[in-house]
Amino acid sequence: MLVPIFTLNFKHKVNPHMVTIGKYDGIHSSLTCATTAGKVFIHNPHNRAERGGLMTFSNEGDLSLLSINQQVSAVCAGKLNPNIQNDILAVGTPTNLLVYDIDKNTDLFYKDTPDGTNAIVIGNLGTIDKPIAIVGGNCSLQGFDQDGNERLWTVTGDNVCSLALVDFNNNGQNQLIVGSEDYDIRVFREDEIIAEMTETETITCLCHMTDSRFGYALSNGTVGVYDRAARFWRIKSKNQAISIHGFDLDSDGVPELITGWSNGKVDARSDRTGEVVFKDNFPNAVAGIVQGDYRHDGTEQLICVSVEGEVRGFNPASDEMRGNLMDTNVEQDTIRELSQRKQNLQMELRNYEENIKAGTAASTILQSRAAAGGGGGGGPVSAEKLFPPGVEYNKTQMGIIPASTQLQTTLTVNEGDETKPPHVELFIATSNDTIVRAILIFAEGIFEGESHVVHPPASSLSNVMKVPIIPPKDVPVDLHIKAFIGYKSSGQYHVFELTRQLPRFSMYAVCDTNTPQPKSSCVFHVSERMQRVLMWLNQNFLLQTDLVAEGGILNVAFMSLRGAGPLMFQMDAAGQITIRTNDMDLAGDIVQALATFLNQEDLQTTVDFPDEMEKLREVLVKVDEYQAVRQKLTAEMADHSNLIRSMVVRAEDARLMGDMHNMRKGYVELYNMNRDLVNGYKIRCNNHQELLSALKQVNQVIQKAGRLRVGKYKTAVINACRAAIKNNNVNALFKIIKTGAA
Amino acid sequence: MDPLFLACSYFRRRKYQQCVDICTQLLEKNPYDQAAWTLKTRALTGQVYVDEVDVDEEGIAEMMDDNVIANCARPGTSLRLPGTGHGVPSQGVRPMSQSGRPLSGFVRPGTQGGRPGTMEQAIRTPRTAHTARPVTSASGRYVRLGTASMLSTPDGPFINLARLNFSKYATRPNLAKALFEYIFHHENDVRNALELAALATEACQFKDWWWKVQLAKCYFRLGMYRDAEKQLKSALKQQEMVDTFLYLCKVCVRLDQPLLAVEIYKQGLEKFPGEITLLAGMARIYEGMNNMDSAVSYYKDVLRFDNMHVEAIACIATHHFYTDQPEVALKFYRRLLQMGVYNAELFNNLGLCCFYAQQYDMTLNCFERALSLGEEQTLSDVWYNIGHVALGIGDMTLAYQCFRLTLANNNDHPEAYNNLGVLELRKGHVDMARAFFQAAYVIAPHMYEPHYNWAALSDQLGDLQSSYNAAKRAVDAFPNHVDSKELLKQLKHHFSLL
Repeated sequence: MLVPIFTLNFKHKVNPHMVTIGKYDGIHSSLTCATTAGKVFIHNPHNRAERGGLMTFSNEGDLSLLSINQQVSAVCAGKLNPNIQNDILAVGTPTNLLVYDIDKNTDLFYKDTPDGTNAIVIGNLGTIDKPIAIVGGNCSLQGFDQDGNERLWTVTGDNVCSLALVDFNNNGQNQLIVGSEDYDIRVFREDEIIAEMTETETITCLCHMTDSRFGYALSNGTVGVYDRAARFWRIKSKNQAISIHGFDLDSDGVPELITGWSNGKVDARSDRTGEVVFKDNFPNAVAGIVQGDYRHDGTEQLICVSVEGEVRGFNPASDEMRGNLMDTNVEQDTIRELSQRKQNLQMELRNYEENIKAGTAASTILQSRAAAGGGGGGGPVSAEKLFPPGVEYNKTQMGIIPASTQLQTTLTVNEGDETKPPHVELFIATSNDTIVRAILIFAEGIFEGESHVVHPPASSLSNVMKVPIIPPKDVPVDLHIKAFIGYKSSGQYHVFELTRQLPRFSMYAVCDTNTPQPKSSCVFHVSERMQRVLMWLNQNFLLQTDLVAEGGILNVAFMSLRGAGPLMFQMDAAGQITIRTNDMDLAGDIVQALATFLNQEDLQTTVDFPDEMEKLREVLVKVDEYQAVRQKLTAEMADHSNLIRSMVVRAEDARLMGDMHNMRKGYVELYNMNRDLVNGYKIRCNNHQELLSALKQVNQVIQKAGRLRVGKYKTAVINACRAAIKNNNVNALFKIIKTGAA
Repeated sequence: MDPLFLACSYFRRRKYQQCVDICTQLLEKNPYDQAAWTLKTRALTGQVYVDEVDVDEEGIAEMMDDNVIANCARPGTSLRLPGTGHGVPSQGVRPMSQSGRPLSGFVRPGTQGGRPGTMEQAIRTPRTAHTARPVTSASGRYVRLGTASMLSTPDGPFINLARLNFSKYATRPNLAKALFEYIFHHENDVRNALELAALATEACQFKDWWWKVQLAKCYFRLGMYRDAEKQLKSALKQQEMVDTFLYLCKVCVRLDQPLLAVEIYKQGLEKFPGEITLLAGMARIYEGMNNMDSAVSYYKDVLRFDNMHVEAIACIATHHFYTDQPEVALKFYRRLLQMGVYNAELFNNLGLCCFYAQQYDMTLNCFERALSLGEEQTLSDVWYNIGHVALGIGDMTLAYQCFRLTLANNNDHPEAYNNLGVLELRKGHVDMARAFFQAAYVIAPHMYEPHYNWAALSDQLGDLQSSYNAAKRAVDAFPNHVDSKELLKQLKHHFSLL
């Protein structure tokens, strides 16, 4: 069993997720945590050791506080200047990023991040020659080098929650992995997305393990490990993982996934299987896990920090403990496992015995009938109908069903009615008179909690069951279905397992091509045969009959079941494809999916979304207004606070002189002023919220515009949009979104 | 002569009042005369104009703000904890100001007041006319120094700010700039000035660096240092100006990042080699960090480019004086005298240098000059120094009288109280001595001498507890004071025997 090699208590609260470690003087590691009231504290016990005397871990005088004066949203330490050994500290607040050299007490730079700062990571990315600090905000990613120059800017689908730098495609360069609130993990090679994985909840943490392997954690308590785009394993807990970290705790040469949970548990899991190899418990939630050479003895320790400021450091296992950190008793475990297996086998054996009994019973009946001379009274006995009618046998206990029972499943689009919203219907039926007792569907991202159980009351059981499914997003999903089949009175049921794939665009019903056309469209050209496109349509939409092209022209129309209006898909003989829909997201999804299917690396499109553009124009006008108001409010507030300061001094003067009357007067004035200020602050707060959501909308439109293109055109669109916004050139922005180039 | 031409001429000759009068007459005839209006605005501004770069004083109330990132930065990286510097003579040789910094050779805003640790202490610190700090940087001394907003004008203010349509003026750069300076300097209405500047910078599509610097000035006054920093950096990208560098450094100092300020000064010096304001600024920062070697070397650089720079000469002289080279200091002070500086302080310093350089014939002459030139405040210091000389030559009666005279001129003179205490003690008047020591350390808790004297006296009288307390205070004020530490050790030993 591994025990902590050191423990200490900061006696300061630590904000979850906001723990980092850095060598600010280039030699000694210092834990750095964000605490309440906009402060960041740095623990550096090493200075004392330098002064001489024994080094003991205590916290008196070893903490130095940094006042940030705003709510801290992320901290990260790392090397921004490759020529200097010192780490620098990056502190993110909802509106700013401060990059600060602790050793010299100087700012490297201080930048406005109007999109917020939800996560920061420092390191090399792709071919960018210098390390950069990457900031994830609301829908945006920004990278700054040591001088504060912007080296990276791109947009992503939703608010960024977590960032990690991983060599995803083993090319010796780092790629940026971004987890966001729209449940997607995206991989960026510089500003280009090279992979996208969809998860089932907000991705709260990401961490690098080895090579292309990385760990992730979701807000619903799932943790797991990916190798490139393939998931190795995952487990789910009712607690939330607050922090994950890759560290080789059992000294077997591969890092384990260390997870800190919201209930204070810390566990280490093998990166291949997810098996727990070590665990420990804190009395409070874990705030962060980092690694560093904290005792300055040349080995890296694993350091866990709890929200109450308790710290435990673990050395990696020594040689004799290698690979076996749990203090478990091997014999006991084996006995438990064996007895479990014995029980299972016995159960199986009993089932076989019952079956043999039934068999002999049936055969004796057959024999007796044969003896009676050719089938008279009873029904035919066959393999299909094991129990001829009229034969009394206790079917209830047996739960035997005909061997030829088959399960039929169909997916159809149901347009709904007054009582039911439109949905995709999963139709399950057995091929005979057996009934479907219950259905268990497991599918990621469709149901809350990932699985869905249907078990109708005994009175309404039949051999048919319909399950409505409403996928919230247009993604292909594997439905793992488990159906319980048996007879009404059965005590035991047979389980049928099957997997159906829900096509990507299942929530669209075919409709008449004469429905009024949507105003917006997206036009592009592919040099592919129409059959291929047809094939794609047939695979990705839920169609009753396969589509065919008439007269060399493909023209289909769908109606969205989510209420987003009609969707028209046209292709002429020259390979020009026109997608008409008012939903920019949907158009983007179709372009992306089609391009992947047709192996198009780059695709330029011309789009026209008048409604979206009008909305964008309004939002941009609003942004300008909000910014003007904000500036005025800020100045007003600063002026008021100046007044407040002088009032405090005056009131205190009165107090020191014992002039209670004036002091009282002063403080009453101060109180009123303060109330004004608080009201002003509330207005400012609201204004800021509005501004934030407006900026988010702008970013989302840019992201959508990017998704309408593929490959280098996509990157070009996003960069051009950024440039247009920076220069405040609204018309150019619209033109870029429309044509894909400035 | 054309009255407008005459007004312009007056303006150029800095005869602002005459200029204003003529413009007022012109405006009475034609209220829409833009030229006269602008000229009057500028003349009114000119009357009260104070250079923003040098007006830098942290108000008492500014202590409530946390603009500083690191509360306890590494020694040598912060202005707040001067710590151990390089080449500084010990406290025993060079007296400290209240902020724990050695006395500078040149009085600047902020060099006297110091930065006491707590709000209460700051308020309690005697605020007389000569040591006062403004209550906040937006009120107090700014109002007194550089604005006319406190003056009442007979027929209402020249420009009624409340009725001004800023967006109209913002689009006219020729009017807007003059108007801004009027609002900022004359009216001292930072908020409106900021609004005008924000509109104007937008009107010229953020292409005019001047507006950005003005915005930064407003932000600085409002205490929004980060915004000021942003504007200044943006302005520097467009146009490199010495002023902008200086403002930026001011912001850094407020954020307590002296090394960053030095870095910016160096950047400025690359663009403007030999610019003395930048060099002097750098020297001041080093002086603030107690890094005397660097400070003196930069002051010497200043002198290389401008050998008439009073501040540099005075600071170098002070440094030499306190590093036991009164002859060299004397040389520098004489240089000041040659340059035409003729005041009590200089003669006082000359007198002290002469005394320590053993040119006794000159000493008393210098002090006599100082006394004839000095005002009440400086007189007390001159008398104190004469008292010091008297002590040096062993004339106790003269010394006693001098210190008494010091107190007659300034009854808050802690050093004089302390020395009087010592003299009384020598005469055997223990109670008097105790009273003097007590008065001294209450007025100046940062001086270690009265604490130690009090402790030593109490120890002799057998009041061990007060002795112990006072000795601890002495060690707090001067950690390396051997006698205090020795006393403390003795007392501890004594207590442990009990």
